[in-house]
Amino acid sequence: MDIDITGARVFFEIPINFPLLGRIQISETIVVSWLVMLLITGLCIFLTRDLKEENISKRQAIAELIVETANNFVVGNMGERFSYMIPFVSALFATSLVSNLISLVGLRSPTADLSTEAAWAVVVFIMITSQKIKASGVGGYLKGFTSPIAVMTPFNILSELATPISMACRHFGNILSGVVINGLIYGALGVASAALLGLIPGAVGDVLSKIPILDVGLPAILSVYFDWFTGFMQAFIFCMLTVMYIANAADGD
Amino acid sequence: MQVQELVGLVPWTFIAQICNLFIQAYLIKKFLLKPVNEMLEKRRAKANAEIEDATKARLEAEEMKASYEENMHRARLEASEIVTAAQKNAAAKSEEILREAASQAAAIKNKAEADIAREKAKAVNDIKNEIGGMAVEIAGKVIEKELSESDHARLIDDFISSVGETV
Repeated sequence: MDIDITGARVFFEIPINFPLLGRIQISETIVVSWLVMLLITGLCIFLTRDLKEENISKRQAIAELIVETANNFVVGNMGERFSYMIPFVSALFATSLVSNLISLVGLRSPTADLSTEAAWAVVVFIMITSQKIKASGVGGYLKGFTSPIAVMTPFNILSELATPISMACRHFGNILSGVVINGLIYGALGVASAALLGLIPGAVGDVLSKIPILDVGLPAILSVYFDWFTGFMQAFIFCMLTVMYIANAADGD
Repeated sequence: MQVQELVGLVPWTFIAQICNLFIQAYLIKKFLLKPVNEMLEKRRAKANAEIEDATKARLEAEEMKASYEENMHRARLEASEIVTAAQKNAAAKSEEILREAASQAAAIKNKAEADIAREKAKAVNDIKNEIGGMAVEIAGKVIEKELSESDHARLIDDFISSVGETV
């Protein structure tokens, strides 16, 4: 039995070769991302249907809880002046979480594609840098690389670049490892059940050994960790780091 | 089907995901954050207005209570004033009545005394007249007897004085 763990499948390709960027490929990542966006937006619209001031429904209570949590998370960690970041951080968390969890229905997570996390991390990196420049000016920002001594400049640049790379790779690695391990476990349990049921002699054994009976149960338990726990944790960590880095940058750190 | 690399950066996916992220941020803002925040703000305003109303009502009630209490106090003062005045009036009137009664009694007593004196004088005069008459009779009786003028006068005076003592 072969286990093939590959990148996102490409559904469609626009055959125009852009310089540097290559051809536009509509891959699984993109399609599932759209699905994720649709899901989130649909959920938002569903939750905020007929909002009332009194006698609120359960649905509205959930919407209020989500909004207040988002407000508290951003304002609590970054301060009142960053309240314009609430939509961005909310979108980051929601997209990350739903993307991570969408693998539960058998789709390929968009977050199992490094391009996704790299895109997010670069956006966050640009925000961090712009906050730093805003806090201490372009000169102050560039000068910050030479502290404490000029010799440290390359290391400071490295550590600056390490921020987005580590953010992207941390998230990507966790989700990819889930995909890989799940693939391996499914494959291994399929092989194991084929071997086990193949012990039954005759045609019955031949038929039964085609059914990967051991795939039922155990992967579900493992997915509690690899999908649910990791999915939540990575979304939370990514947002937490975003918020912390940007707030620290604005403090002139 | 063609597949992309397991670990690799695809430029168009990268760009698309950046756009997706911002579109998602806009959609979340428009469909979740804005309506809910507006609703929360409205509710907060309403709660504030209600608290304000309650405070106003309480202040009004307190004012009303204060004015009632003042009115009650004033009424009580007035009542006690009225009672005091009435008591004073009554005392004055009773005194007057007593005084009048006393003066009337005194007048009655005076009148009675005057009456008595008058009656007494009248009686004395009556008696004097009678005695006068008697004296004439006596004189008539004593005509036979020769009497001096001085004896005559002494006789009358003695008689009168004797009568006066007995009366």
